[in-house]
Amino acid sequence: MDIILTDRSLRKFLETSASAQEIAQKVSLCGPTFDGFHEVDGDFIYKIEAITNRVDSASAQGVAREAAAILTQFKIPAQLINDPYQDKIKFPLGLPQPFHFNFDQNLVVRFVAISLENISIKPSPLATQKFLENCGQKPLNNCIDITNELTILYGLPSHIFDLDKLATQNLTIRESRLGEVVITLDHQVNQLSGGDLVIEDTSGRLIDLCGIMGGEVAMVDDHTKSLLLIVPVYHPAKIRHSSLYLQKRTLAAQIYEKGPDPELCLAVMSKAIQLIKERAGGEISSSLLDYYPSPYKPKSVSLDFNWLNHFIGIDIDNKTVISILESLGFSVDASATQLSCLVPSWRYHDINLKEDLAEEVARIYGYYRLPSHIPTVTVQPEPKNLLLETELKIKKYLACHGLYEVYNSSLISQSLIDRTLQSSAQNLKLQNALSLDYQYLRNSLIPSSLENHKHNQGKVSGLIKTFEIAHTYQKIVNSQLPHELPTLAILCEGNFLDYKGLLETLLTFLQVRKIDFEPAQKPPPYFDPASTATVTSDGLLLGYLGLPKKLVLRNIGLESSPTAIEINLENLVSKINSHPIYEPVSEYPNLLEDITIKSKYLLGDIIKIIKNTSDLIKEVQYLGSYQQNHSFRVSFGSHQKNLQQSEVNTLKKSIQQVFQT
Amino acid sequence: MDTKLTAIQTIQGEFTLDLKQVTSLAQVDLLSTRYLGKHGQINTLFKTLPIKSDPQTGRKINDLKSVIETKITEKINQFLSLPTSTTFDVTTPGTPTPLGSLHLITQAIEEIENTFLSQGFVRRRYPEVETDWYYAEGLNIPPDHPARDDQETFFIDQDIVLTAHTSNGQLHEMELKKAPPIKMINIGKTYRRQIDASHTPMFHQFEGLVVDKDINITHLLGITEFFAKSYFGSDRRTRLRPHHFQFTEPSFEIDVSCGLCNGTGLIAKNACKVCKSGWLELGGAGMVHPQVLKNGGLNPDQCTGFAFGWGVERVLMMKTQLPDLRLVYSDDIRFLKQF
Repeated sequence: MDIILTDRSLRKFLETSASAQEIAQKVSLCGPTFDGFHEVDGDFIYKIEAITNRVDSASAQGVAREAAAILTQFKIPAQLINDPYQDKIKFPLGLPQPFHFNFDQNLVVRFVAISLENISIKPSPLATQKFLENCGQKPLNNCIDITNELTILYGLPSHIFDLDKLATQNLTIRESRLGEVVITLDHQVNQLSGGDLVIEDTSGRLIDLCGIMGGEVAMVDDHTKSLLLIVPVYHPAKIRHSSLYLQKRTLAAQIYEKGPDPELCLAVMSKAIQLIKERAGGEISSSLLDYYPSPYKPKSVSLDFNWLNHFIGIDIDNKTVISILESLGFSVDASATQLSCLVPSWRYHDINLKEDLAEEVARIYGYYRLPSHIPTVTVQPEPKNLLLETELKIKKYLACHGLYEVYNSSLISQSLIDRTLQSSAQNLKLQNALSLDYQYLRNSLIPSSLENHKHNQGKVSGLIKTFEIAHTYQKIVNSQLPHELPTLAILCEGNFLDYKGLLETLLTFLQVRKIDFEPAQKPPPYFDPASTATVTSDGLLLGYLGLPKKLVLRNIGLESSPTAIEINLENLVSKINSHPIYEPVSEYPNLLEDITIKSKYLLGDIIKIIKNTSDLIKEVQYLGSYQQNHSFRVSFGSHQKNLQQSEVNTLKKSIQQVFQT
Repeated sequence: MDTKLTAIQTIQGEFTLDLKQVTSLAQVDLLSTRYLGKHGQINTLFKTLPIKSDPQTGRKINDLKSVIETKITEKINQFLSLPTSTTFDVTTPGTPTPLGSLHLITQAIEEIENTFLSQGFVRRRYPEVETDWYYAEGLNIPPDHPARDDQETFFIDQDIVLTAHTSNGQLHEMELKKAPPIKMINIGKTYRRQIDASHTPMFHQFEGLVVDKDINITHLLGITEFFAKSYFGSDRRTRLRPHHFQFTEPSFEIDVSCGLCNGTGLIAKNACKVCKSGWLELGGAGMVHPQVLKNGGLNPDQCTGFAFGWGVERVLMMKTQLPDLRLVYSDDIRFLKQF
């Protein structure tokens, strides 16, 4: 959470010789981060990022406590002064209470209220106005400004109502009901969703959107004479919920949602009364209401010195450990080997474990003072990750063959699913998509690839050739989680056979064997079944190679008809022969013979038949076709001997015979 | 006259004639085969000699052989030293081999992976769509905790999210290994509901986890510094600042010194435009929270660990100074071919 402080306000609580720059630099290393500071009229303004679980440091006194502890470790004299926790506080007794509060259960941590009368509202002193302006707040009047000033100084918001505008016999703090409306000080009409904390007065009006912003009904204005002053601490989750829902991220809301210290209520109340008396001439007109259903009980956490040093990695002497913790407000009871720390009330929520104490010691001592060591952890060797290795191999192979790698978003639109003729019932859908463009998790990469081509159309000379490797998210029946399937997509303009060849060579390079292509019976919907093949290895489906349907190309707006390849990399990897076995190379040269076959079969089948005719047929190369006459160059060879021409002629005859029968 | 001597003279005469007529290197090679080959004239002549007799004739044939060898070698050298008739313009553009490119992110991930593999880390890949337990509750983030809002999470349903960080891998790794030591790097896609110059709804993170007996804060510093120096350059420095995450205790924000201003925050007395007073934020890290070790099935009394989760695009942008993260996800080939 970001806060703005002035150097002067900080020095109300911090006595140090350190300059503003030194404070900013040193404290950033060990405590809240100073995101920058600049000078205005002889004062410095700090932008400070208080760590989310350290709401106690989101104020001038909170930063001062941190700064005093930190600067001391830098050997710069520094001391916390005007510590509100040391104040002796007294309130007048025996006065009546002209107001009555009812509290619903579990909404309020502490609630302190008092009334004042004979107030004269006027502008704040110039110094106060300047201070608020420097901290990014608008000065309003002497009384409202006091509550804002104290929030910045002490980190605990307070609020004032015009007592005369309220029906105060029966004020109720309760959860709002759906549809209730509260008009806040910014004149906005807030429709409540139910469960927001509100105060209802005797006449049934909502007078406060608790912890976020006061209601307009009882707003303090120039005519106000009496005040109802409250210093409450609310249940953090309630405030957070309302503040996010209503998009009212006020400073008060940001503080309350993080659980500020209820032990600070009386000190802040006392300061507020004192300032109202000084600046608005008021006097107390009621006794103090202090509703505190479960008062803070001190807790202690223990810490073993030996463990601490092991955990931080260096030896910090016991005395330093103790002095650091004490400088942060811990009461320390130490033995030779360990200590027991009483956690101060303002650290009640964030200090629970020995690790929490270790953090305090290590950071104040200074992370920057710690040496760095490479850990000597050795894990057992594991078999190599063939999938990751193969993915990178494929990427490099394709990049070296003229293809460009693209990273597309896994999130796609309903429109893209429709245009590629898929059904979004097959996709996981986001409940809270950012926009219609990013609504579904894709289960195929081809639609995105088609869009890549569309985007590049007319921009590049030469053929557009792209690929992507990414997870596709496959819905699984009876499972909430999808199968995250590593997938390869290739989309290239140009000759279909060139890319079939590219795929064949790639698979061979990867040692994937027994590759086969067959006409696809039921390819994914964006493929044209008439020109799409299944790609299999030893009978296992690896994916598809083919042309997208004309309708899909038209829907996308593509003028060309690129070849698409989509491969399931899990299946591919399962077919990699990662330990090829040595086969002796034949000493005898192969004989090459051309042969022409007349057949109605598919070329792939003809080649298979030729190969299956004899073990002596080593390779079959396709040369070309004329009508049903297909020419091949067949290489014959043997590991045992030089083949004689007569043997080859016999083999050629037997090949022809197969096709004649 | 001895018929053998006549034969020697005849061969010599023919050779002299033949040699005069050769016009190319290939013809010289043929000549060499004809006279000096296994079935060449010289060998044929040798074969006609009776065994163990006539050493004088033998010597003469040998003399002839060496004369022929010398002349052939001379002739070969003569051809080889001839100037080529056409001078070749070596500045003619080469015939281009088709060249594509690897995406920036692939290159960054490979570099990151190799950096950690060299330190003995194991590369993992854990789910990107995840249950609430691995994503939040098991990481010590209870329901309704503010940390859940901060992450700007995409939901599939109440219990299933797209991971906004790679820290879910921590619990998976602990469950896989069942006992320390653990030393893994999980690199994967992550998703957040944000889009602007420094956020895209999908991005990549790398998550390191080291668990063993006696792992301490200085080890986190060691690995952090090793990464920063390997990836950004050996002159870079790192520092930790206090931070808060639910799944680490203590938690840190890690800064790397700015390469542009060399960590000074100033360039020619003006504020550096790239960094905040000399430092760039790398990302979060911390000592694994004892509750997270417990949730992963490890005993926090017997081991400690550190973890970090940093953005691939973040380090990429820190290194390349790309002005807008959304550029990384451009599919414009004119952009892609630059890398």
